[in-house]
Amino acid sequence: MRPGLILTFAAMGVATYLTRAPLLLVLARRRLPGWLERYFAALPIALLTALALPLVLLPPGGPGPAWDAQLPGAILVAFLARRTGNLLVAVAAGVALVAALRVLIG
Amino acid sequence: MEPESTSTDVGAEVRAGARDAATTVVPSILAYGAVWGGLARQAGLSLGEIVAMCLLVSAGTAQFVALPMLTSGAPAALLVVTAYIVNLRHYLMAAGLAPYLTGLSRLRLALLAHGISDEAYALTLARFTRGPAHPGYFAGCAGVIYLAWYVGATAGALLGSRIPDPRRFGLDFVFPAVFIAILARELRARWQWLVAGVAATIALAVAWGVGGTWHIAVAGLAASTLGIFLAPANASAPSPAGGETPTEDAA
Repeated sequence: MRPGLILTFAAMGVATYLTRAPLLLVLARRRLPGWLERYFAALPIALLTALALPLVLLPPGGPGPAWDAQLPGAILVAFLARRTGNLLVAVAAGVALVAALRVLIG
Repeated sequence: MEPESTSTDVGAEVRAGARDAATTVVPSILAYGAVWGGLARQAGLSLGEIVAMCLLVSAGTAQFVALPMLTSGAPAALLVVTAYIVNLRHYLMAAGLAPYLTGLSRLRLALLAHGISDEAYALTLARFTRGPAHPGYFAGCAGVIYLAWYVGATAGALLGSRIPDPRRFGLDFVFPAVFIAILARELRARWQWLVAGVAATIALAVAWGVGGTWHIAVAGLAASTLGIFLAPANASAPSPAGGETPTEDAA
């Protein structure tokens, strides 16, 4: 093991921890003002949307939007999750569809 | 969190979190951990260095981004700054979880903070918004997710380049599928749809135009401001301690 490298990894870990800990420590111990509570009510929706859609609509390797089997997969997942409320069923069906489509049409 | 909760309650919550993570995101995390381990090997890291990096950094995206930089001999400071920037989105996830984790000691919060990842955040929030908000659930999720990442990476480092492409099995779709399933379940009121629409527009524009992981933090920060004006007063109020009846969500 190269000690310099391990030190770099440790510093990367500290930098990462500094994105995780401060707001959790500060905000979990306070009563938030109303406007901030409403902001945080919207935050999960905004974050989950921002996490998910580019993964589906801008598949890696391409410069922009491109066809991907994930697109019909996403529609199936959204439909099943809304219908059944069951995450596992929705995700499993979506993954199976994506895998099947990739075998069939690449 | 119920003040009088016993240790068995904690154990049940931890197990529930571990189970939900294991049945949704874990196969994919194992696969991508293995891919990362194989690539790390090709980038010249030894098995010990690979394990050390996983344990010390514990952040998949940052570890993927670091590999080409290690290969090209980038300076250490650049690696550290890049890890920080790639993980900026965690500020928002920590802020989003915080209202549910009241009444915990600083030490516990500091330990829980280490568990924040895209997947643990998404699964925990899906649970907390519909049922009891117990920190044990988050700990169970995060613990299993990290374990899968470490095991996958070690296996990948040992197998080297013999790892099949996870895309062949649709495993790249697991992460967006979990996020979409949670969204589809939660989106009800018109203001929520509006937030999602604005977040989608910003995220796609930034992801396309800028690349990297900027779109998550930018769209999250910006689209949430709509909530200040549109969300009802009690929209994010987490269930107060002990006020929850057991939910139907146990399935």
